[in-house]
Formats: sequence, C-alpha cells, structure tokens
Amino acid sequence: MFVCEELYDVIVIGGGHAGSEAALASAKLGAKTLLLTQSLDTIAQMSCNPSIGGIAKGQIVREIDALGGAMGRVTDHAALHYHMLNTGKGPAVHSPRVQCDKKLYQFTFKHVLELQPNLEMMQDEAVKIATTDGRVSGVVTLRNTFYRAKAVVLTTGTFLAGTIHIGTDMFRGGRYNDMPSDGLAKNLREELGLHMLRFKTGTPMRINARGLDYSKFRLQPSDDPLQPISHFTDVNEQKKRKFLSCYITRTTLATDKILRENAHRSAMYSGNIHGLGPRYCPSVEDKIKKFPDVTSHPLFLEPEGFYTEEYYIQGFSTSMPEEVQRALIKSVPGMERATITRPGYAIEYDFSDPMDLYPHLESKLIPSLFMGGQINGTTGYEEAGGQGLMAGINAALKTQGKDPFVLRRDEAYIGVLIDDLVNKGVNEPYRMFTSRAEYRILLRNDNADLRLTPYALRLGMLGEEYQKPFEAYQSLTQKLIENPHADVQDDPDMFPWTLEKARTHADIHNKYAGYYERNKKDAEKLAEADNIKIPEGFDPSSVRGILFETSQKLREIKPQTLGQAGRIPGVTPADIQLLAVHIERFRRMQHAKQAN
Amino acid sequence: MQTTICALATGMGGAVAVVRTSGPAVLRILNALTRRQNWEPRKQIFCTIYDGESVLDKALVSYFPNPHSFTGEDVAEFAVHASPYIKGRLLELLCAAGAVPAKRGEFSQRAFLNGKMDLLEAQGLCDLIAAGNKASHRLAMAGLDGALSARVGEMRTKLTELLAQIEVRLDDVDEEMTPLSDEFIRTEINSVLVHIKALANTFSVGRLIKDGLRAAIVGAPNGGKSSLLNALVGFDRAIVADACGTTRDTVEETLEINGQKIILTDTAGIREHALDPAEQEGMRRSARAMQSADIILFVLDASRALTDEERTLWDEIRRTGKRALIVLNKTDLPYQPCGLEQAEQYAVLPVSCKTGSGIDALKKAIVRDTDEAHTADGLMISNLRHYESLLRAQTELESALLRLSANAGGEIYAEHLRGALNHLKDLIGEVTPDDVLGVIFSKFCMGK
Repeated sequence: MFVCEELYDVIVIGGGHAGSEAALASAKLGAKTLLLTQSLDTIAQMSCNPSIGGIAKGQIVREIDALGGAMGRVTDHAALHYHMLNTGKGPAVHSPRVQCDKKLYQFTFKHVLELQPNLEMMQDEAVKIATTDGRVSGVVTLRNTFYRAKAVVLTTGTFLAGTIHIGTDMFRGGRYNDMPSDGLAKNLREELGLHMLRFKTGTPMRINARGLDYSKFRLQPSDDPLQPISHFTDVNEQKKRKFLSCYITRTTLATDKILRENAHRSAMYSGNIHGLGPRYCPSVEDKIKKFPDVTSHPLFLEPEGFYTEEYYIQGFSTSMPEEVQRALIKSVPGMERATITRPGYAIEYDFSDPMDLYPHLESKLIPSLFMGGQINGTTGYEEAGGQGLMAGINAALKTQGKDPFVLRRDEAYIGVLIDDLVNKGVNEPYRMFTSRAEYRILLRNDNADLRLTPYALRLGMLGEEYQKPFEAYQSLTQKLIENPHADVQDDPDMFPWTLEKARTHADIHNKYAGYYERNKKDAEKLAEADNIKIPEGFDPSSVRGILFETSQKLREIKPQTLGQAGRIPGVTPADIQLLAVHIERFRRMQHAKQAN
Repeated sequence: MQTTICALATGMGGAVAVVRTSGPAVLRILNALTRRQNWEPRKQIFCTIYDGESVLDKALVSYFPNPHSFTGEDVAEFAVHASPYIKGRLLELLCAAGAVPAKRGEFSQRAFLNGKMDLLEAQGLCDLIAAGNKASHRLAMAGLDGALSARVGEMRTKLTELLAQIEVRLDDVDEEMTPLSDEFIRTEINSVLVHIKALANTFSVGRLIKDGLRAAIVGAPNGGKSSLLNALVGFDRAIVADACGTTRDTVEETLEINGQKIILTDTAGIREHALDPAEQEGMRRSARAMQSADIILFVLDASRALTDEERTLWDEIRRTGKRALIVLNKTDLPYQPCGLEQAEQYAVLPVSCKTGSGIDALKKAIVRDTDEAHTADGLMISNLRHYESLLRAQTELESALLRLSANAGGEIYAEHLRGALNHLKDLIGEVTPDDVLGVIFSKFCMGK
C-alpha cells in the first residue's frame, strides 16, 4: 500500500453535483481538500436531464450561488436555453430553469475546480473509509493508496451497489457505462455499520433529432429578455449569446396501447426492483397504470448540447425493453422517424438513512464523516448541490474547530431540505417543492442574495471584493422598499448588483408586505426554540412523562435544539414543555456541580 | 418573542374566581380592559372591567411587573365574581386582546425557566405537564360525538384537498394544468366556513356564554306561558289575563341561572285557526322564536287533556330537532294525564307557576348542558382553546375570500389555508406538507 504523505483536512468522495460543490466549498474555506473520483471526465456530469433549475429547484440554485457555490455560474456559462417558470403566478413561485450544453457544463465545472487553490483532484475509486477509534482517519482506494484525512465527505450519487434495469435485463453500473462502487458500499454497510437502504430512479431514452418533424411540435423559444440564474452573471453580456429552442409534444393513444400491452415487460413490474421510486417523477408506464383516464401525457424535448443532435425526452422515463422503447418513440407525432441513441433505464442504488445525520450533515455514527446528495435519499442536481455545499462547508469548519453552519427553514430551501431529511427521514427519493416550505413568501428567487450572501461573506465563500458592492445593494433595496419613488442612481461600482435588481426586489417585497411580516414573526418564534440548545450529556429520551413514541424518536434522532425536537413528527407541545423544564433543570444541576 | 398567556387560576366553587395572565402584553391588555393606567405594583385595586361598551364586572385587579411576579414576567390577576359567564367572557376578552389560553402547567413552566422556582418544585411541575400530555395526546376527535367528528373529518379533507389543488398548480412543471376558477375556490372555502361556524356554535362556552342561551316558551293560548316567564324571571313582565291570546308581541326577558345568561322568549299562543289577525302575526313570531331558540319550553296545562292543536305543535317542535322540555303547568290544580309523559328523550317537568313549586328544578334543567361544560375545569379551557382556534381559522378563511376577490394569487390563498389548518391542528390533527403532496400525487399525474 502506498501511503500518501499529505494529511488532507477534507477528502470528498465523488465528483458529481454534490461532490463538486463540497470540494469547492471546503477549499474556499481554506481546508486542504482532495476530490477523489472514478473518472475526471465525468466531473459534474448531468446524468439525467440537460437542465438546471425548475420549480423550487431554481430557488435552490440561486441559494447555492448566493452562498458562493458554482452551480449557478457554471449553468450560465453552459446555458443554451432560458425559461422562467410560473411567470403567470406570484413572484414567490417564479423559478428559473436553464437548459445547458451537458459537455460544456461538466468541463466548465471541472475547470472551476482545477483553478481553485487548496483543492487537488485525483482519479481513483474509494473502496474503504479508514477509522481510528471510531473517527474518520482516511480513505483507501482501489489502487490501494491510503489518503489520510481529518474529515471525509461522501457524495456517491447512484453509484453505491448500483444496478441498472432495462426490461428484464439487469446489469451492474453506477450510471450507464460506469462501474458501480461495490467496495465502498460493502464497507459502509458491513464495516462502518451505516443504515443502508435502497432507492430506485430512472431516466428516459435519448434520440437523434435527424428526421424529427418539428411542424408537429409546439415551439418553446428561449426567454427574451432572459434572466441569468447566477447573481454574478452580467445580463448584458449574456444577452449577446445564441440560444436554442425546446419543443413540446404529447403521447398518443398508440403510445398508451403499447404501454398497456407490454406493461408486464417493464423492469418496474418484473419483480426485480425492490427499491422505492419517486412518486412525482414516475416512469411513463407508471403514469398509465396510476392514471388510466389520462390518455395523453406531455413530452418535452430538450437539446443535449450545441454540438450534438441528441435530444432528451422529458416525460418518457421508462425501463421497458429496448424494442418497446423503439415502438414508443414511433407512436409520438413528429418523432415517427427518429432513432434512439441511448435507451431509458431504471437504476437501483444504496443510500444511507439521513436520520443518522446531524443538521450540519455529519454522521451521528462516525464522527467527521459528512454526507451530501443522493446518498442522503434525495434526487436532483440542485438538491445534491445544496447539500454538497453545506457538507463541504461543515467538514472544513469541523477541521478548523469552528461551530457548524446550519440554515434555518425560514432562511433557505436548503434549510428546509436538510431539516426535513434529518428529522423526518425519507420514504421515496426526496425532491424539493415550494409547498414543503412553510415560509415560501420569504424564500424567493429574487432575494436569495439578500438572505444568504451575508453568510457567504462571513464564511469566506465569497471574496472581500463583494463586500462593498453587496452592502451598497442592501442599503439601496432598503431605501426602495421604504420609498419606491426615492431618488436613487445606478452605481457601476455596485456590480454585479444593479438598480434594476433592487427595484424588482423592492416591488416584490412590497407586494407581499403583510405576508412577509407574518412569515417573519412565525419564523422568529421558531428561531427562539432553535436557540435553546440541548446540552451535551443531556439525554432527552430519559425525561419522565414524555410519550413513549417521542422518547423513541428522540433517542434515534438526537435533536440538537429544542426547536429541532419540536419538528420531529408526533412530538407534542407538552413533550416540548417537559423538555424545556428538564433542560433548565439539567443546566442548573451542572452549574451547581461546577460550583462545588 | 414570548406570547402572553391566560387561564383561570382557581378551581370551581367559591364566590370569587381568579383569572391570571402573564407575558409581555399584560400591561397593554390590562389598561385596555379596565380603561385606567398607572398601576401600583402588587396592590389590589377595585375597578371596572369593560366588555366593549358595557360593564362585565367590578373586580379586584392586581398588577405584578416583572421580575417580581410568580412567573418572573409581567402578571395581572383579576379576582372576579365566580359566574361561569363572567369567567368565560373575561378569558375571551383577554384572548381577543392578544393573549392565548395557557397550556397545562405553562405558568409554572415560565416561573421555573425564569428562575422563580427551585428544582424540587420543578418535579411537581413536570408531573403536572406529563399528566396532561397523555390526556391531550388522545386525538381531540375522540372526544367529539359521531356527527361532530364526521364534520371535523370533512373539514380536514376539504381544506387539504383545496390546498393540494392550489399547490399542484404552483408546482406544475409542465404549466399545462387549467387554473382553478375563483368560483370553485370560493365555494370550497365557504363550505368549510359553514362547518367551522357550526362547530364553534357547539361549544357552549363560546356562543352561549357570550350571547346567552335562547329559550323559547311555546304552548297553546292560555296554557300559562306568560306566568311561566314571570315565575322564572321573578316579577310581572308580561301581561297576564284570562282571555286567551293576551300576549301578542313576543316578549324577551334576560335572566341568569347559575351565572349562565338566559334569554327567554314568550311567544303568542299557537292556534291553527286564529280569528284575530293580530294573533296570527303573533304566531308567526312564535315560529320565528322557535327557529332561533337553543331550547324550547313546551308549556302544557296539566289540568286538562292535550288538544289537537297542541299535538300538532308538539310534532312541529320535534321536527326542529332542538332540545325541548315539556313543562306541565298548573300542577296545583286537579291533574289530567296529557299523554306526553313518556315522551321519548324529552324531560317532563311538573311546575306550578302559582305556588312556585318545580321552578328551581326547571331552571336546573334549562342550563344542564352548559353547566356540564363549565363544571369540569379542564374542559372549559380546552373548549376555549378550541373555540379560539375555530375563530382564528375562520378569520384566515375569510381573509382568503377577501384576497380572492382581489385576485391575489394561489400562493396567497395557500398562505391563508395553511394558516387555517394550523389553527385547527388541535381539532383536526396536523396536516403536513407530506399529506398535501400525498393528495397531489394520488390525484394528479405530474413530474417529468
């Protein structure tokens, strides 16, 4: 075994959307960071659709961006089509979505990582997380190299013990054409004793656009004017670029018939798949089965890049045998003469129960082991990126002996996401929806920077050069909120922030004025309970009088604050009352002991 | 920011009840209710408590500014007359001014957290909260009768589904769902509002304490209705004469039985073929009085047999489905069995308005239901909490309707629906985002 002489602060295992953000964040915070990945050519690869953002997800990208992550900036760089969703509805639910050139996206991200000081990348597969006295001490790879580390971030995506299904065919893979991580899966399950569970997800076929009859599609041109997804992109420069269109079509009765006749041939119903799949992202055969009355489903054709004829067909996710997939394509108006380039497939993979995590994404079972992305039971690039960023930040903070960084539910969708994961667990791949956020009016696309950039500046996720422009923007927006007709000037030194952004924000803020206050007030109450820490050494499950179920849940979840305890499903207000009294009691007794 | 809490501090019985309130808003509420300022700390002051423009009670009020109080916060104590009406109404006024009903043990909890109680005392406090925990953990629904729990279930389903209908459109990726019509949203919200209002009315501490219990006295002409009213009220209010049909107007009289406000309505005698047009008008009024009554007192003359008219009237009373008492008057005269003695679930009360015998028993029977609501102390607070929740939920839904007229948008209606669901949590159980998503995924085919 070769033992690498470096002692890394943080090693990130996996270079997908979570891992890339994690590595970048950790390095930005000054931690000596190593990114380990099976292949450097698949850094930040878009394994499924070629788009970033969407309802609620677009807000997450804006949050990652405001916190100094790269997803938003890379998206703008690789953008081939902009579309702001929900513009017919209130601004609280406006969500940006951007189609990207897949190759451009992944290589841009790789380049960003290569340029980042403190960050090394190594192409090698992790097979074992080494521990000393139960704490993380390093990573052993397939090449039998030992990399020493103070903390490890796991971002394994769908690779842990991945199995691919097409019809009744099954083969091993972490993604089509990529090897699964079997060694690491075994290590986590058997040697580290993590609670590993299994999920299923799927992806549609890709087709060659040659032969498509565009006259039968509805055209969706790129937005004009466009809105960049990153706060830091110059909209005037972005406007000069060329963009592509997307197309919309629908399945037909013929599609329906093919799916019905071949239902038994889908991997979904073959009996081979045991992992649970997401309800909101069903395969097309699932849609037919669950909604027999709906005879036509929308399909959305997304270009995979500027320099390819391949299209991704959103809405056609399937694990039917190849010949059925070919027939399905031919049943859709405009696609009669198209050919499949890559079949759709379902994939099953291991994930780790997120209830074993603290809200700062560190494992309760193995100190200094952090996790982000699909390994926590989520789905989506954006959900992965948000967690990766938080895991990377917290891994670095831990090695620096600093307090963890946790976002509250009223501060960010990322806060809602992680709070849900660690307190409620998952029973299907978790996707963000705006309805999951009780403070939806506060968590908007237009105010992500105002909510989160102060944290990024404090942590060092954004450089000092942004301090002054941001402060100028903050005071400008405040002025405009108080008086929309205030006499104000645009200031070029404020870039990337502008007067136009400030006006937009102030207008939206004032539209929601009463609701904003109302949400804020509720959130303050929440913050109060979150400020009451459950002290070290205090065992909440030992409190007499709390309900049996509560005591069980408290033992499992080990909440860190009274607020977190209150958000565990089934915990009653009286349980919280009791806890409050017992925490105070414990505190006083500790105090008395110290005095002695 | 801490809430301001209020609760009854004394048990049942006794002539004086103490209502206590604690929290940052105490002084403001105290000033508003008594219309005076400048309180000398920890001194009992005799003053008037106002209920809007009228006087609720004259009471001894003490103000304890923080930290020198039981809880360590600002505290006020109202020593009022121990009438259920006054106690209940005072708690309602406190809530209307911004306080919330206290949870079990919450005053002591605050005292402990503010360092006003030692560790030993804290154990007693924990036992108190724990005892309430088990009891309140049983779904509130379990305590409601069949009809109510069905209504509660329907409210939950309707609100959750309407919210799901709105949410699914906010999260609709394909943007191809047809928008909900304002009319649909309005109808759905209104159908829940009807239930909420009906439910609020089932809580006697709510409406009956505030508005009083409405009792309609009905019966054949000259059966002794007006005499009964006088016997109950205690002085001659209605005109009493031997010529039948003397009471032409409905006569309203207010009295208090065990602190419960009762509004008695004496109606014209109901007779099928009224010859006198004035009497016909009176009869229409009686029908109306029966409509708006909470309880009907059916007065019969015990000295004579039941007439056909009385039988018809009895059928009508039963059709209203309301609580009714059969009052057999003139039991001082020779007795004629009337045939209604075994009248199913209806109580029969023999009285003599002349001698006053049986009047006390009748009074007790009238307030029986509301008394039960007051006697179990815990129930009164819990009912008040429910009642408050219903009123708050009602406000949310009414705001949603207002915003609907202003075309404010789905995310705004959703805010109010969620607010309403949140207020109704104790009654209908918690509706989580997962519940809403569950409805969405079971009803709509969405996603890529």
